[in-house]
Amino acid sequence: MIRSTNPFAKEPRYELVARVLRSNIQRGTLPEGLVLLEGPISRLMQTSRVPVQAALRQLMTEGLVHRFDGRGYLVGPDGLSIAAIRKDIAEFKLEISDAVDDALQTRGTWRHVYEQVEEEVASCQIFGEFRIVETELSDYLGVSRTVARDVLARLQERGLIRKSASSHWIAGPLTARTLREKYELRSIIEPAALRMAAPFIRYSEVEHLLELIDSDATLTSESLSDALMECCIAHAPNTTLVELVRSNMLLLSSVNRALTSLGLPHDEATLDQYRTLFDLIAKHPIDSAVEYLRDHIQISAARNLARMKIVAVISESGDFAPYLVPQ
Amino acid sequence: MPAPSENLAAPPRMHDRRLRVRGTSITLLRQVQEQAEADLGFRVDYELLDFPTCQRRAAMEPQGYDVYEQCFHNLDIVWFWGALQPIDIRRITQWDNISDLAKQGGISKYAWRGLGDAPVRKLYVQPGGFLGPKPSRQISMLPTVLNMDSFGYDPLIFGAGDAVRSSWAWLLDARAKGRIALVDEPAIGFFDAALAAEASGELEFADMGNMTIAEINALMALLEDRRRQGYFCGAWVDGDQAARLFLDCGVAAQSMWSPVYGKIGPQPGAFVEAAPTEGYRAWHGGASLSRHLVGAELDMAYEYLNWWLSGYAGAVMARQGYYISTPDLSRPHMTVPEWAYWYDGAPTAQDLYGPAGELVVRAGARRSGGTYHERAGRIAIWNTVMDEYNYAARAWDRFIRRIHDAQLTKDGAA
Repeated sequence: MIRSTNPFAKEPRYELVARVLRSNIQRGTLPEGLVLLEGPISRLMQTSRVPVQAALRQLMTEGLVHRFDGRGYLVGPDGLSIAAIRKDIAEFKLEISDAVDDALQTRGTWRHVYEQVEEEVASCQIFGEFRIVETELSDYLGVSRTVARDVLARLQERGLIRKSASSHWIAGPLTARTLREKYELRSIIEPAALRMAAPFIRYSEVEHLLELIDSDATLTSESLSDALMECCIAHAPNTTLVELVRSNMLLLSSVNRALTSLGLPHDEATLDQYRTLFDLIAKHPIDSAVEYLRDHIQISAARNLARMKIVAVISESGDFAPYLVPQ
Repeated sequence: MPAPSENLAAPPRMHDRRLRVRGTSITLLRQVQEQAEADLGFRVDYELLDFPTCQRRAAMEPQGYDVYEQCFHNLDIVWFWGALQPIDIRRITQWDNISDLAKQGGISKYAWRGLGDAPVRKLYVQPGGFLGPKPSRQISMLPTVLNMDSFGYDPLIFGAGDAVRSSWAWLLDARAKGRIALVDEPAIGFFDAALAAEASGELEFADMGNMTIAEINALMALLEDRRRQGYFCGAWVDGDQAARLFLDCGVAAQSMWSPVYGKIGPQPGAFVEAAPTEGYRAWHGGASLSRHLVGAELDMAYEYLNWWLSGYAGAVMARQGYYISTPDLSRPHMTVPEWAYWYDGAPTAQDLYGPAGELVVRAGARRSGGTYHERAGRIAIWNTVMDEYNYAARAWDRFIRRIHDAQLTKDGAA
């Protein structure tokens, strides 16, 4: 992969939009009382409305803009009864730093919209089966059909969508069986990969992870799962097996993120298990770590099946993105 | 007088001792509440909700209640939302007197356990926070009330008398077409329909207590087909609705809960409680502790839980046809004829009355299905939250919505 040297290249698009608006408000380029509307901003920044909405919400929580009785937001803090100024934002000479401008311009690829779409597609599946309409998707994102197709290809690779017999893109329904099968596969291939990787694991890296678990309270089970992959399993010399492990995990991690975004409680009980696992890898014959990993995967499977049941409580709001059509 | 300000010190007053109970119409009865308050010396506030609302709010808003009274099958939802805390059985004074049906899984060592969520499979807290049957010192829910449910039928259609062998298949029987209703709860009515589909020979399930997606699809397709043919006249969520379906719409076969027979009044022979040849669909209720409880409030909750098993509440439950996990402690709170009818399955020599004093059983009647032991020994399946519950529940909801929509159209046209 080609890595960009631009520090903003990996920032979500809404952050970039927020960054531009924030600096121009703080500098006084955008005066107090100016009405900020999504449409003109998205035209100016050459982006869709979704990141603009997110950016404006973000600025509202920062107290830089506020809601008022009309459409859009007013520049300035709430509660000062500032009079509304209605002017096109294009009339103000907005300063956009070269790096941000560059980051905004080079976002014509699927990457900047992918995460949002993945979350929407993964979460809708708990409610049933959906068809994805490609033209609606590109309109919704404000991107070309080519970019929309890139996004869909990536979703297919993750196992989140599939083609129906009539060549429609179909998502869901997400079932316990899907999860169970993925976990069964995990418990077969991951212990095998770990055993193969054992001679190539750098123990200092694993010991560093152990220190982190004890000192860094912000570590999540998701990041530890990534660390297990990168520092241990990925060292297995059988690259086909490593790829299989990676691709099998893709759907599970998307689903996990989607369920958390729907408001399901976090699963924090696994931190201890990672501590034990890394300890076994660093300090004991690999057999014990392999067995422990198998157990750990089975426990994760049971936890995730339990999570699949409790999503039944979440009622369907009917508020799906326009490109998702319930079947 | 100035408005009270938060800055002023609170005036000295007795702390209002109050326990908040969230639950359903199964256990939240005025007679229980009043006696609990009298015996315990603190206020007991009841929040009575329908099943799905109760479950959702218990899972997502555990701050809103202290004690949660619901069913064991429901724990898969509420426990895994992290809304509850374990109950320490050392603080349950009558733990040893709780029946084996709850603690072992069957009425005797040799009795068939029933498919699905038998309470013992959700009772004990296991390593890792899971729930399972292996005894430990912590439990998820204190077993209280239970019953073996079936359906009610019109003897003019299906026959009267002791020789009639009732079958769940009647819930899909052409003879009752247009006069069939189901209970609308995906962990309950879903299995009434599944039992009917299997009993009628139309479908077979490898494990009805944990169906596959294909089996769920097949069942929903069968139900939808019957719905289009006009088999169903309604679906109900509580006993009052079930009674109305009988009294106003003349259902000929429908899911039933025991108190509904009382609600439709003592009409001997008009609507008969089935003792299905395939066995019952059972459920077990209980009480759980909200996650937030500590200190004195936790003590009050334990007092209330212990009170529930001590006898009085079990007698009130019996009068609406439910059993209690500590029957021997409740027996002294019942009259001899009450015990004989409800627990021993004997014909009653006198009229019997429900919790609120209403006449529910006429002299001469005999409880369908026989004694407690006979009924508890014939459990086919328990109310269950299957692995594919999310999928099944959403499919079920769509099916029920179509039944209601069709009824509305019909009513509108009439």
